Amino acid sequence: MASSQTLTRYVARRILLLLVALVAVSLVIFLAIRVLPGDVAVVMAGTDASPAQVSALRAQLGLDEPLWRQYVAWIGGVLQGDFGTALVSGQSVAAIVADRASITFPLILAGLMIALALGVPLGCAAAVTTRKRARGIYQAVSIVGGAVPALWAGLLLIMLFGRGTGLVGVFPTQGFPQNGWHSFGAAMLSLVLPAVTVGIVVGASMMRYTRSSLIEVASSDVIAMAMACGMTRTSAMIRVGLRLALPQLVSVIGLTFAEMITGVMVIENLFALPGIGTGLVTDIGNRDLVAVQSELLMLAALFLLIGIVVDVLHKVLDPRLGEDHD
Amino acid sequence: MTNRSRSVYARKRSPWRSIGIVMRSVWARGTGKFSLIVLAIWLVVSLVSLFWTPHSLWATDGYHVWSSPSRAHWLGTDGTGADIASWLMAGAGVDLLIAVLTVVVALAIGLLLTACMVARSTVLSRGSVVLIDALISIPTILVALMLAVPFGASVGVIVAACGLSYGLNMARVCRPQALRVANSSFVESARHSGVGAWRVFMRHVVPNIRSVMMVQLSLSAGTAVLAEAGLTYLGVGVPSGVPSWGHSLATSAKFITVYPLTVVWIGGCVTIAVIALNLLGDALRDASDPLTNPALRQVDYGA
Repeated sequence: MASSQTLTRYVARRILLLLVALVAVSLVIFLAIRVLPGDVAVVMAGTDASPAQVSALRAQLGLDEPLWRQYVAWIGGVLQGDFGTALVSGQSVAAIVADRASITFPLILAGLMIALALGVPLGCAAAVTTRKRARGIYQAVSIVGGAVPALWAGLLLIMLFGRGTGLVGVFPTQGFPQNGWHSFGAAMLSLVLPAVTVGIVVGASMMRYTRSSLIEVASSDVIAMAMACGMTRTSAMIRVGLRLALPQLVSVIGLTFAEMITGVMVIENLFALPGIGTGLVTDIGNRDLVAVQSELLMLAALFLLIGIVVDVLHKVLDPRLGEDHD
Repeated sequence: MTNRSRSVYARKRSPWRSIGIVMRSVWARGTGKFSLIVLAIWLVVSLVSLFWTPHSLWATDGYHVWSSPSRAHWLGTDGTGADIASWLMAGAGVDLLIAVLTVVVALAIGLLLTACMVARSTVLSRGSVVLIDALISIPTILVALMLAVPFGASVGVIVAACGLSYGLNMARVCRPQALRVANSSFVESARHSGVGAWRVFMRHVVPNIRSVMMVQLSLSAGTAVLAEAGLTYLGVGVPSGVPSWGHSLATSAKFITVYPLTVVWIGGCVTIAVIALNLLGDALRDASDPLTNPALRQVDYGA
């Protein structure tokens, strides 16, 4: 970093931008749910509801008030930390999301660890190797790994290791223990297969990124210098090249993390884990508009925030990006 | 001036000839050959499925549910006794449609944003960078879910969500190269001799970012097929009753613990198609770059 002042200015500008983007996103979410076809109250009341019941429901939801007032009421609540009450379960949306996050985030973290443990060494090996056959094998691994649908990978793992039906039936494949993390061992066991599925799918893309960013720095003078100082090509690539590729990798990891929050949705569904993704799909199915709009807003805010953190980390880690690049 | 420059362009540009050269040199590579063959089969199967499938999609056979592959049912039957091979063939068409439409939408959005980013107007260039930075971190599935709330599950939701996300991504990847070209002296001289901004963009900037674009687009097509499978499984993709690979995968996923084998064919089919699309991008990039493909240079300088 050239100076901490530029960094502060950069962060300030991005946060300002974040606020603008959040207002825009909240408007889009709000309007998409309210204005576009389909009367939410009719859907929620069910097919055999009388008109009186529907209008009572509309009044209860505040749907008969002008749009701007509904919007202000929602955002006003959000600003005070009140994300509303889910219509179906009657719990506060914040509590529901916190509950679900306690499954999704451990799953993502475990999946990411597996992905890094698989992807980074494989990517390094693929970049460093000079043997033609080895290179072909690494390439095949990364191409096939990147093309496997997550759903299919999960199904194959269930076929191999699922308790009861798998060839080596070891791990539970459905659901999360009733009392959550209180039964720690069972909770961990139920996350093994989902995490490995996520890890394999994401690991393939980690491998690709590691390989391409290492190859990018391989031809730079830095590597030549390190080799001139007596390092072998391999150790120069690993010890010097990897350090140079680090900022880019951190960016990728951050963005992958963000993408995984919804990306693991399919996996959560397959393994019947009540996480953020599964919950969102259920709420959409139930037309629980209060829960859906707040959940979407929270997710969007989280993604935008992660985007900022990634960009700032990138700048801090890469001292060469001293000045603004605009 | 316009007459002369147009005639020069007309002589230099021979799109069909260069497409032929590119295709031949894709074919010359092992990976390129593989992906062209797979894509050709995919196309033929989709076309055939429009008119003929081994069994009708709606012909159910209650006595032969979950049967294993046989002569009558090449890949067996599913829980209602419907022929899996027929559904896969029909699904191939829908998935091909989704992949192609996604590429078209992503190309349109990506080109528009790239054009904005290299525009002289600071409002446009700054604004588009800001827009991309803000939107890029919102994942495809979330966009699809947002769209699915009002519109319900449909092919259009998949195409719109994927097209938007991949278009943004393409614009961001293309930006450095596009900026380099936009600041080059040949673009400047074209501008000074009175060529309009949009024409400069299409004639000078686009051909120079073409190889980056092609890789991105073919990756997008592959990712769109994967996204279709995931979104359909979640119930926000292709509506139920419409054949698609995601649909087939989802139906067999429900009974994975009882009848595991059917899922192997379907998933393998998707995987091979996506591999072909991903490999095609790399092959196209190498084949369409005049620096690595000498045959193309003769087209550019000759005649």
